[in-house]
Amino acid sequence: MTLLKIAFRNIFRQKRRTLLTGLSMFGGFVMASVFIGWADGSYNHIIDNFTRHNFGHIQIHEKNYLDRPSLYKTIDTYPQIRSRLDPIDEIDSHAPRVYSAGLVSVGEKSTGARIIGLDPLREKSTTKFDRKICEGRYFSLTPCYEALLGKELAKMLEAEVHDDIVVVSQGADGSIANDRYTIVGLVDTGDPMTDRTSFYLHIQDAQELLVLGQRIHEIIINIGRLKRVNQMTDRITRELDSPELSVAPWQVFARGFYLAMKADMEGLWISLVIIVLIVAVGVLKTVLMSVLERTREYGVLKAVGTRPGQIIKMILMEVNIMAVFSVIFGFGAALAVNSILAVRGIDLGVEFTYGGMAFETLKSEINARSFIIPAVTILLSACVVGFFPALKAARTDAARSMRTH
Amino acid sequence: MNRDNGSIIRTEDLKKTYHDSGVDVNAVRGVDFEIHSGEFSAIVGPSGSGKTTLLNLISGLDTPTSGKVWLKGKLLSNMSGRRLSDFRRDHIGFIFQAYNLIPVLTVRENVEYIMMLQGIEKTERHKRVGNMLNQVGLSGMEDRLPPKLSGGQQQRVAIARAMVSRPDLILADEPTANLDSETGSDLIDMMYELNQKTGMAFLFSTHDPMVREKARRVITLKDGRIAENNIKK
Repeated sequence: MTLLKIAFRNIFRQKRRTLLTGLSMFGGFVMASVFIGWADGSYNHIIDNFTRHNFGHIQIHEKNYLDRPSLYKTIDTYPQIRSRLDPIDEIDSHAPRVYSAGLVSVGEKSTGARIIGLDPLREKSTTKFDRKICEGRYFSLTPCYEALLGKELAKMLEAEVHDDIVVVSQGADGSIANDRYTIVGLVDTGDPMTDRTSFYLHIQDAQELLVLGQRIHEIIINIGRLKRVNQMTDRITRELDSPELSVAPWQVFARGFYLAMKADMEGLWISLVIIVLIVAVGVLKTVLMSVLERTREYGVLKAVGTRPGQIIKMILMEVNIMAVFSVIFGFGAALAVNSILAVRGIDLGVEFTYGGMAFETLKSEINARSFIIPAVTILLSACVVGFFPALKAARTDAARSMRTH
Repeated sequence: MNRDNGSIIRTEDLKKTYHDSGVDVNAVRGVDFEIHSGEFSAIVGPSGSGKTTLLNLISGLDTPTSGKVWLKGKLLSNMSGRRLSDFRRDHIGFIFQAYNLIPVLTVRENVEYIMMLQGIEKTERHKRVGNMLNQVGLSGMEDRLPPKLSGGQQQRVAIARAMVSRPDLILADEPTANLDSETGSDLIDMMYELNQKTGMAFLFSTHDPMVREKARRVITLKDGRIAENNIKK
């Protein structure tokens, strides 16, 4: 208790220095917290938007489809699955898709393309696909041999809206599938690679072309909160209870995107290390200075029987009291800043595009880790940084310190 | 081996050599002496004769280059750092020339500090602090901080701090050197009375003729050696 008392009162001996030390810890906490909150908010915003508007948060396939996609690996019970998905509150929307590959031709020009069959109504409510039309119009709700082309594919084929397009593929029954469609619109997903290969049909047209009947290849699902993706994946798996199906979260079926996001977020830790280093240097300097100034006092404490370990404890208490107060005040300040940024966001000034999604503002997120990580980091670095001066104080040569100071 | 025989301190061929800027300084050159329990003794000698170094060696604050120190029959060189800290805390009280109080603790807390380290319970601590402050004439000043006290008052607090844990030996290094002669004289009288009353041994390092006058044993150091070791009958 006395050690704590000494530690506490020592804090107020050099008020300006204490203020500086406290401010550097406070500043470090606020910076780290706002940085994590903003990074989490931005990344989650990007991930949510990108997955929501491209391939959903969760997908259902035939059990082996993701390992090696094939025309024949189909979901045969879509109506039953749909009736099980519909009552789940946390599911915002879902849409079926059909995939295959074929040769598309406009006039004299031909190229390979990915055939994607979409349900116009469900796709609209799930991925807002209709907003990606950059020229022409979206599908009619009933199938009527309409096609949409990625804008780059249209360029390659020198195709325009209202042109006819012929597609040749393979039917699921082994027959040669071919038909003629009218191009009603061009699609700009924001990803040139996708736009160079994508040929979209009404799902029923695609099923007819590929002789799939009612069968589909994929169900994309959007849920209310991205954070719940793993719990929802488990829940849907339980609800479907089918060994023939696989339910996967976005991290599995969009692995490349997931890894890219993960790698981007690694940068966060580098920034945190820099913040910690700035704080640590500031704290080390001031604590070391006060230890050097009080060498005689530590000598006296040792002379009267204070153990070296107790001196270390006392100095660590001193540093940690400052750290705790800095974290408390920092928490308030960071919460305020994070709240403002979560509501208003940061205006990027110019539109920033990621995976075809345009972002003008990036918003912060208020979550536990944006406070816990900085708090633990500040308290730990205070201990680590305080330990060296504390050790120095504990090793004070009592006789010498009293002779020379 | 217990070498007590009623002595509180015993030294044997105690030497201390400092290496200062490449030069060897022989501060203590083979000192043998003994102080008995309850003695009021003084080490005197000119500046640089090795008085403070000798006190530091006796208390275990400094380690001898060679030779041995027994305190209450315990050989100090056999003790680990932690044991030595505890031993010092329990058996030795210090009074320094510069008072060396903890500036952020009040008079009461300074006096109480060692007892806190010893784990003595609060009621007992408060009782002892009250008695001790009364004996050194500081009643009513319990809540003052050291910087608000005069030099004489600070030294009284230091005396109270040194004695309150009831050690066997009080080591006082030039305790009156920073005080005016009247205050110094009062303090020496007070310490003498306390020595008589409590039976704690006092060993001074001093130039003060008052101390020399009161001391039963006077050890005179010259160039790190004992020139005289006189005991008054």
